[in-house]
Amino acid sequence: MKKLLTIAALTATTFAANAEVRINGFANLIGGISNTEGSPYGYGEDLSFSEESLFAIQISGDINEKMTATGQIVARGEDDYSPSFEWAYMTYAATDNLSISAGRLRLPLFRYSASLDVGYSYHWINAPQAAYDVPFNNLDGLRFDYSNYAGDWEYNLQLAYGTYENTTEDYSVEGNDVVVASAELTYEWLKLRGVWGTSNTTLNLYALEDTFATLETILPADFYDLYVSEDDRGYFIGLGAEVDMFDWFISGEITSVDTPDAFLREDIAYYVTAGLRMGKFTPSITYEVKESDDDFKFTEQISALPSADLQASLYGIQTLLDDDLKNITLGLRYDYDTNIALKADVSKYTDDLNEDNDATLVRFAVNYVF
Amino acid sequence: MNIKTFSKTLTGIAIGCAISFTSFAEVVVIVHPSNDASFSKKAVQRIYLGKEKKFSDGKEVLPVNQVPSSAARESFDSDTLGRSTTQVAAYWSKLVFTGKGIPPKELDNDAAVIAIVAENPNAIGYIDSASVTGAVKAVSLN
Repeated sequence: MKKLLTIAALTATTFAANAEVRINGFANLIGGISNTEGSPYGYGEDLSFSEESLFAIQISGDINEKMTATGQIVARGEDDYSPSFEWAYMTYAATDNLSISAGRLRLPLFRYSASLDVGYSYHWINAPQAAYDVPFNNLDGLRFDYSNYAGDWEYNLQLAYGTYENTTEDYSVEGNDVVVASAELTYEWLKLRGVWGTSNTTLNLYALEDTFATLETILPADFYDLYVSEDDRGYFIGLGAEVDMFDWFISGEITSVDTPDAFLREDIAYYVTAGLRMGKFTPSITYEVKESDDDFKFTEQISALPSADLQASLYGIQTLLDDDLKNITLGLRYDYDTNIALKADVSKYTDDLNEDNDATLVRFAVNYVF
Repeated sequence: MNIKTFSKTLTGIAIGCAISFTSFAEVVVIVHPSNDASFSKKAVQRIYLGKEKKFSDGKEVLPVNQVPSSAARESFDSDTLGRSTTQVAAYWSKLVFTGKGIPPKELDNDAAVIAIVAENPNAIGYIDSASVTGAVKAVSLN
């Protein structure tokens, strides 16, 4: 009995209320101001705290020795701080190495996907949006996590299956038969990661609904089916690497999002970040790029169409979602305490497709975990 | 070597020594006297980073930590885990908020760690080498 009590006492964390239900939380208070209105990430000429700030509470409880239930309630400034259950899942620890989670959970797309909202866990104010700002992040489904080591190499494998859905003011996107597989290898100071994913994707842009309704009546049926973004296989590929020598680190990721059988052109995004750890200070520099493919799709089918105007609009629609942007950020993290970090950064954002979007952005942040 | 870098190196060494004498306690890893498992630095790292849940002899492991303000914690994190205490906290925040782990409980001082380790065959802790008593077994990391 005494041993049991000690075990119970030991498994209760310092973060925790008691051994059975753990309550943890994290908060990012982020303020930003830019030199132009409508600049990247929603900031403008007036100081704003509501674009990226968030407050979250996580509650997890042990159902039995092998099973845990976890819920994460997040209130985001961009949603007027109205709280929502972003994650809710159960985890079954099949062995010390293998766990299976089911419910609503984060898709393992990027190196920082899992802890994307926990600003305290990384050196940036926010992860590089050129790569990380994808419309699909959370999955309803299953995820298998396997981790082990062989000699000095540690490895972590993840396999996720399910569906996603995301509705915003401008579009709705839905993915079925989503499969994402990722592998991460760690050797002392080196980390390598690869990810491959696919889904049956339907993207509905509200602004284009009428246009597509018209196209459906005038285009050959099989070409319309090809052109429209409805129930098409999309692919996600990513590679990442990190060298962390403690006093300094450098890391990067490159990703491709492609839907071959739809009007959308392939997006390639990458970033490189490097920083120094000098006691409580971590200065860093990050360079990020997102570019859409310049080549038009379906040129053969489009050039066979009789109307030059129609051809022009079919090419035009392909460019609507194009991105060609760069962002360079100088940042500083200061470790105020073991659960509080203060940060500041300045970014120079360049949009090669629309120079009205070029902006200089200054942000500062307080990250807190408990 | 020119005289400027030479004197810089000297100052560096002096500062380095001052730091290691003043702020770092010499820390040893302790387990229950009945624990016959073998320990490497790597194995202890894995245990304290939540990657390994068993001792080398297959028995369940229950690591206990010290509070971040303690000298023992600072030394243990930098010497054994190879990270600053803040980095260790950031590492655990990642695991906690992705449902992948629960950090070891943090105790206030060496005496509290000894009390837990002395009565629990599954526990592992670390303390200032000067605090070791007969109730626990100090292990060397090979």
